[in-house]
Amino acid sequence: MAAAAPGLGLEMEETVYHVKEGAEGANLELENFCLWYGKAQALHGIGMKVQKGIVTALIGPSGCGKSTLLRSINRMNDLIDGLSVRGSIRLDGKDINAPGVDVIKLRKRMGMVFQKPNPFPMSVFENVAYPLRVDGVRDRRMLADACERALGEAALWEEVKDRLQENALGLSGGQQQRLCIARAIASDPDVLLMDEPCSALDPIATARIEELIARLRGHFTIVIVTHNMQQAARVSDNTAFMYLGRLIEYGGTNEIFVNPRLPRTSDYITGRFG
Amino acid sequence: MRTEDGKAQAPAPAPPDGRPARPGESNGAEQLPPAPAAPPAGAPRRRKMGHADFSSRGEPILWTLGGGLALGVILITGFLVMVFWNGLVTFYPGPIEVVTLKDGKLVAGEPARSEVFRPGPEVLRTLDEAARRAVAASGGYVSRTLYRIGNYDLYNEDFRWVPEFEVKEVRTPPDMFFIERLEWGSFVGRIKALKRDGQVLEAGKFGLGNLRGEHAEARARWQRVRRIERTEIGEVNHYLEKERLAVRRAALAHGEGSAQHREAQAASAPRTEALKKRHAGLSAQAKAVKEVDEKVHLVLADAAGREKEIRLSEVVRFYPANSLGWGDKAGVYFSRWWEFLTEEPREANTEGGVLPAIFGTAAMTILMALAVAPFGVVTALYLREYARQGRLVSIVRISVNNLAGVPSIVYGVFGLGFFAYIVGATIDQLFYSERLPSPTFGTGGLLWSSLTLALLTVPVVIVATEEALSAVPRSAREGSLACGASKWQTIRRIVLPQAMPGIMTGLILAMARGAGEVAPLMLVGVVKLAPELPIDGFFPFIHLERSFMHLGFHIYDVGFQSRNSEAGKPMVFVTTLLLIGLIAVMNAWAICVRNRLKRKLSAGHF
Repeated sequence: MAAAAPGLGLEMEETVYHVKEGAEGANLELENFCLWYGKAQALHGIGMKVQKGIVTALIGPSGCGKSTLLRSINRMNDLIDGLSVRGSIRLDGKDINAPGVDVIKLRKRMGMVFQKPNPFPMSVFENVAYPLRVDGVRDRRMLADACERALGEAALWEEVKDRLQENALGLSGGQQQRLCIARAIASDPDVLLMDEPCSALDPIATARIEELIARLRGHFTIVIVTHNMQQAARVSDNTAFMYLGRLIEYGGTNEIFVNPRLPRTSDYITGRFG
Repeated sequence: MRTEDGKAQAPAPAPPDGRPARPGESNGAEQLPPAPAAPPAGAPRRRKMGHADFSSRGEPILWTLGGGLALGVILITGFLVMVFWNGLVTFYPGPIEVVTLKDGKLVAGEPARSEVFRPGPEVLRTLDEAARRAVAASGGYVSRTLYRIGNYDLYNEDFRWVPEFEVKEVRTPPDMFFIERLEWGSFVGRIKALKRDGQVLEAGKFGLGNLRGEHAEARARWQRVRRIERTEIGEVNHYLEKERLAVRRAALAHGEGSAQHREAQAASAPRTEALKKRHAGLSAQAKAVKEVDEKVHLVLADAAGREKEIRLSEVVRFYPANSLGWGDKAGVYFSRWWEFLTEEPREANTEGGVLPAIFGTAAMTILMALAVAPFGVVTALYLREYARQGRLVSIVRISVNNLAGVPSIVYGVFGLGFFAYIVGATIDQLFYSERLPSPTFGTGGLLWSSLTLALLTVPVVIVATEEALSAVPRSAREGSLACGASKWQTIRRIVLPQAMPGIMTGLILAMARGAGEVAPLMLVGVVKLAPELPIDGFFPFIHLERSFMHLGFHIYDVGFQSRNSEAGKPMVFVTTLLLIGLIAVMNAWAICVRNRLKRKLSAGHF
């Protein structure tokens, strides 16, 4: 890979698009999005339209900027000192980085699930109710309804309905991750961002999460970062292949995996590097 | 790395001490001929190799480390055992020995301790031949015993050393009494008689049981006088002072002789009159009780028969030291502990109880914790969560750490100068001007002491809180932020609860440090004697401006500032025991709270 000296070649290459259009069009549009950590540029001119209501997977080797891109969408990168961005990310046509955008409101429209399950050290109920609580909801009934709905959608309700008041840290790893998904969708967001949600789970728990993603498809716009190419192939409609901070190829998952347009994509998918 | 030697030599046989030869271990030393005259080249080489052995094995270092730990543990255990032992036995009643000296004099007292000493030649010269020989036979050493002889009013000393060679005979007569008095310390001797209304009742005929009855009555009278003088007259005085202050306030606000001032005077006059009348009535009551009391006296005699007459009500406790059963001894022991824990001190703090000091220590520590917790936590929160991490924050952090190393007396000076003389004086000017020139907040007191100690301990809390905050995992913060929580919501609902055990640890350390601190308190509010507790029945109930007593200062005062340090010594140990106990209890409580929090945060995940 190093011998290929891809740096120069990449400057030339244009992203190849063959996106599978969703029924409702795109609700997340990135245009020439660049990002720097201090002086180091991590993302180079990313342009992609994330289709509404379907699953988009981000794949690529470690350090290619998938997670950075995902975290730019709900501006979690704001926490990092010395970060600068250029270009735009538009949610329903509005630039999320524009001055005057309320980042808290923005994050309320997006749920996020992290690599390692990170339930809060409180009861199962309080975990799921947390997004509503910070939103100022006090009404016990509303909280209970939202909690039941979210846990139901996350396929966890049957398992935890009798232990809602128990500490969430007592759940198993897979249950914890589904709890985090329930928490992410409790306030009914538009977009669900998943950052390698299965990387810390065993195969059975992974299978359940994948089932869950399949069920959630259609309700939310889902963007999932994954290292596992089979997983991307199984759960997603569109796949974006990233390499060294650039978007190389973005298109329908079947196309990418069966018939990639670029040799670099094909090399990665067939395991020749990465 | 080892060794030139090992390579050169063939695999070694088992060394002579039976240790199996380890592979790679050079036994060059043992292979040398056992003759004392080793080859000249062998000696330095051997030493060199032994050195390499020493550092490569690491075990000697292990011994050093373990030894350090053991030394520390032994020191601490030894200290605790000493304090516990001395503290616990202090109140146990000992026997009274009556020693007949060779010159015919009598010494009676409780043996306090014995030691061996070497009498000087000028002492030996005064001895007779037999005694000198005995001293010489034991190598010039003689044992001597310290007796607590009491009777300070008769002898002008409380303790006396009696060397063995002066002793002719030691007896423990059953009729010797140990009598604790309100004044002059204890009395050791016999009870001759009880004088009541001019009658003299011989003790022998009167009986000990009857005497106890009389004594209980006398003590009840004394309690009554005290209650009248302290509580009831104290209350009247409090209201009288309030009236005076009301008039003074009117004079200050509207001018001397103004209409309002005269009005206030007129309004206050009848009330003052009534209070004065009540004062006179109470004084008369107290006087009447005292008159009855004056008629009941106890006639005591020391071992040699010197008589002393005191009021029966002045006797705190008396017991026949040599004819006590186990039950009686336990009774005396626990009654002394009870007195110690629930009474005020007397006799320049060397006798009586330490209730005000216990109360003062606890109140000050709790107030300090209340002040230091929010202050330290807020500072640490800002430093860790909000401030831009740069040079300025680094400097602040280093300064905070260095504050922990400032000598505590410096804080005392600061507390006195800033809190008492600047802040307190301003408060007095604004709110308590009618009481001037006597200061209210403008002098040391409970509040200023607590705040001074809070300043002293705030670095501990800041450092601990910062560490606890930075230990909260990033994933928890991100999870909360991703849910649409604001930074403050994340801190309040996620970060602070998770950091709480660490914060509590810091607070516990701060409390332990603050409760044991004495030096700054001497400047900002601790006094030798303050029988008035900072909490009482008068509005506003908690009197933060009052000076108070503190166990740590009490130890210093009793041990080093009292008339007779030998008499204070047992009290030093008991008070130390109590101080350690109090700090241990407060810490145990805080640790319980912390562990409950911890359990909540880490429910079993396996």
